[in-house]
Amino acid sequence: MSFAGLSLSQLLPLMGAGAGVITLLYLLRMRRREIVVPFAELWERVTRESESRRLWRKLRRLLSWLLQLVVLALIGLALGDPRPEVWLRDPYTLAIVVDRSASMGGPAEAESESTRLQLALRRAEEEIRALGPADKAVVIAAGAEVGVASPLSGDPATLVPGLLTIAPMPGEADLPRALALAGHAVADREGARILVITDGAVDPAGADALATCVEGDVPCAVARVGGSSENVAITAFAARRYPYVRDKIEVLTEIHNLGDEAATIVLDVEADGVSVGRREMTLASGEVRREVLGDLDAARARFVARLSRPETPGEPVGLPEDDEAYAVVPPLSPLDITLVSDGSNLFTEAALLTLDDHIRLSAATPESARLGTSTELAEADVVIFDVGDELLPDTLPDTHVVIFDPWRHETSPCPIAKKDDIARPFLTEQDLKHPVLDHVVLKDVNIGRGTLFQTEPGDQVLVRSLGAPIMVMREGAHTVVAIGFDPRQSDFPMRMAYPVLLDNLVRYFEQGRAGFVASLPLGLRREVQLPRIGLNPEGVTRVEMEDPSGATSERPVENGRVFVRALVPGFYSLRSLDGPLAGASVELAVNQADVHASDLHDRLGELQLPEAAAADEPPDPAPLGEGPLWTLVMLAVAALIALEWAAYHRRVTV
Amino acid sequence: MGLRERFLGARAASRPAEPEDDLFDEAFLKRLELLQVISRRLFAGRQRAERKTRKVGSGLEFADHREYSPGDDIRYMDWTVWVRLRHALIRLFEEDEDLPIRIVVDVSDSMSTRGGAKLRYAQQVGAALAYVGLANLDRVGLTCASGAHHLSLPAVRGKGRIFRVFEFLRSSPRGGSTDVRTTCSRVAAQAGQPGLTVVLSDFYDLEGAFEGLNMLRFRKHEPVAIQIIDPMEADPRRSGLRGDLRLRDVEGGAARDVTLSPATLRAYAEAHERFCDRLESNCRSRGIFYVRAPIDVPFDDLVLRIFRQGGILA
Repeated sequence: MSFAGLSLSQLLPLMGAGAGVITLLYLLRMRRREIVVPFAELWERVTRESESRRLWRKLRRLLSWLLQLVVLALIGLALGDPRPEVWLRDPYTLAIVVDRSASMGGPAEAESESTRLQLALRRAEEEIRALGPADKAVVIAAGAEVGVASPLSGDPATLVPGLLTIAPMPGEADLPRALALAGHAVADREGARILVITDGAVDPAGADALATCVEGDVPCAVARVGGSSENVAITAFAARRYPYVRDKIEVLTEIHNLGDEAATIVLDVEADGVSVGRREMTLASGEVRREVLGDLDAARARFVARLSRPETPGEPVGLPEDDEAYAVVPPLSPLDITLVSDGSNLFTEAALLTLDDHIRLSAATPESARLGTSTELAEADVVIFDVGDELLPDTLPDTHVVIFDPWRHETSPCPIAKKDDIARPFLTEQDLKHPVLDHVVLKDVNIGRGTLFQTEPGDQVLVRSLGAPIMVMREGAHTVVAIGFDPRQSDFPMRMAYPVLLDNLVRYFEQGRAGFVASLPLGLRREVQLPRIGLNPEGVTRVEMEDPSGATSERPVENGRVFVRALVPGFYSLRSLDGPLAGASVELAVNQADVHASDLHDRLGELQLPEAAAADEPPDPAPLGEGPLWTLVMLAVAALIALEWAAYHRRVTV
Repeated sequence: MGLRERFLGARAASRPAEPEDDLFDEAFLKRLELLQVISRRLFAGRQRAERKTRKVGSGLEFADHREYSPGDDIRYMDWTVWVRLRHALIRLFEEDEDLPIRIVVDVSDSMSTRGGAKLRYAQQVGAALAYVGLANLDRVGLTCASGAHHLSLPAVRGKGRIFRVFEFLRSSPRGGSTDVRTTCSRVAAQAGQPGLTVVLSDFYDLEGAFEGLNMLRFRKHEPVAIQIIDPMEADPRRSGLRGDLRLRDVEGGAARDVTLSPATLRAYAEAHERFCDRLESNCRSRGIFYVRAPIDVPFDDLVLRIFRQGGILA
């Protein structure tokens, strides 16, 4: 506060003298008016009864004296023409970037009962309240999505309500975009600066963006609202059926101690509300532990895992969002396999028929495959081409494909190119760790002729013949496995390895199949393919989604895909609204399951930001938005005088 | 009350009274005539001056017996009792005698505040009562009294004596303290015979007001109390008095510094009301006719109210 009028050294003597005069006047006994009354005896009796109120009368006189002194002080203040410091400095434009990542929902260090975001919002409000008459501010909420919470304004009444809309958002804050937006918002404005309010638990991209911002042209300061980094999170939780015992399931829980100290926690796993497992464990700092609950009854569909401390059950361990995880049992649906064969190799068909308890096998002729008349090819999950001398179709179907001897003829739809033909190849090397070749031994297989392949980066060579690829897997949207020889021209079908290889292939495709783990990470916009969660997409154009709170929303379906907005962990339900199977519904589990989001460590220390980048203490709120203060002081004086006048006439202060 | 009156209250209180000529002017006389006519109608059928004293004497109506004592006129001996009981008793008779009316006007200083409005009112009421009494051929006497003065007009009879009454009221002295007890004692002592005694006063005498009236009753008088009240004085909230003041009694005494707040003013009004109520209840309990006379009520209305209530002159 500064005085633009009389200085304090001038005001103090004036006010002292005035106070002395007022006090002297009050000390002097007031000359009373004399009133002649006809019945003083009765007056005396009445006034004697009010003698007890004399103390109050003295007090009233004291109040009156104090009131006069206050009026004098206010007049003196008005003569000084007081002006807050914020009015005297140059105006500035402030962009406040509030980190709203998931870690901001963690406990704050200063106030254990408040979250980091609450402290951040409080700090932002203090900045807004400190704006001077010519200052402006904009509030940017930096979550996985970046948005303007409060538009550029100098009015706290406009800016502060925007803060109330900011809540923690799953995932990491997109600080690069948020800082870019802040920079553009205040660019070319007077006194532009950026204030980032964060807990420092940012991802590497965010840290880089902060470092860039601090070194940029626009002054950028960082206010930290960090807290304890102790957090134990469930980073993975899934349920799956046993491949060969489909009515039994096992549940995997991955627990990660992201804190700096060892933590003892209790893991509870419930299935449809019934506890199926409880384990207490102590995890060292940074330790990741996987707990598997096996041999559970698949009749239970919903699994929930919860973390808590043994001494405080029910209370979260660090971030509450990652202390609960949800999983649903994948639906039981057989794998559709179409075998395209000329019928001369019954070994392949026989090996597949042994798997008929969890596959649905159909057959097609090479001719129908070439002509495109076979509907089975379009609907199959896996197509196995074992056509012998027949020609392959011009194009492969949009699904996983296994092709025996794809380059028998000059032309082939196989995306894995031929390198060379080879007579009597020997299978000399095989990738023993690959699941497709699990328990498969090929070294003594005799082969009449074969084809070597030209691999590309990313291709997995399963089997080699003297170093040259002869059996290659190429993964992509659809996996292609090319086997460079015809079983008919080898003794491979006669061996145990042949049905084992086919079984491994089927299991590989089955495990890689959608819906095996029906769980989504939290996010604003998550794409879900309906088949992957067990919902038949045929004819479905709309689905109704029900979130854990019971709220429902309708979402469009395009090409069997739907975008889901999942901001709360829990079980979501999707129900098809149209199509032949309208009304069919599936459940979907949504979990945080993001190690970065659960990591509460302040990463800004590693950046070694300059001292100037550290934000100062919160400024004091501006006393008034605008207008000369002395006029308001004089208004207060007038109000006090009016009050005194009214009180005098009501005989309150006399 | 205006600002000037509030600030000049002390001076206003000592303002000289209006000229006395205005007190009993032509208009006043006309109202007296009207009062007389109305009173005739009210008292139609009754004989004039027909009032009996309680005196036992030579009247015609038997009153009581008493023991014979030597010297008594044997004509009044009750021979019937003598024959039957051999007990000598003298018969006593009520003596028919005119009942005198004495109107006592309080002329103390307390009656002269606020321009003497109460005193003027008391004089007008007193004159009206005297006029009606004289017109009824009663003997009417007046007394103007206070703690300092006591002047009486002997009882006169006849309507034509009303101007003596006016003159007496005009020329009577004023001032002194309100001393109802002393005034009543003197009136009782001066009266040759008990009669109707009308006391016109504000009775601002905390201890002596009722004692004086009761003493008159004890002396066989028929006291009538007419309390003259100035509403502004009875309820000072109307006056606008407030703040730190020094109150001085108009009848003397030490001044008192007070702070008048609305609560204090309300307390005074309530205390005044209680004082009047207590005086009234005391009077009624002793059979003393009591009338409260606010000065904002025209005096002739008050007199008629008194007549209608039958307290006096009836």
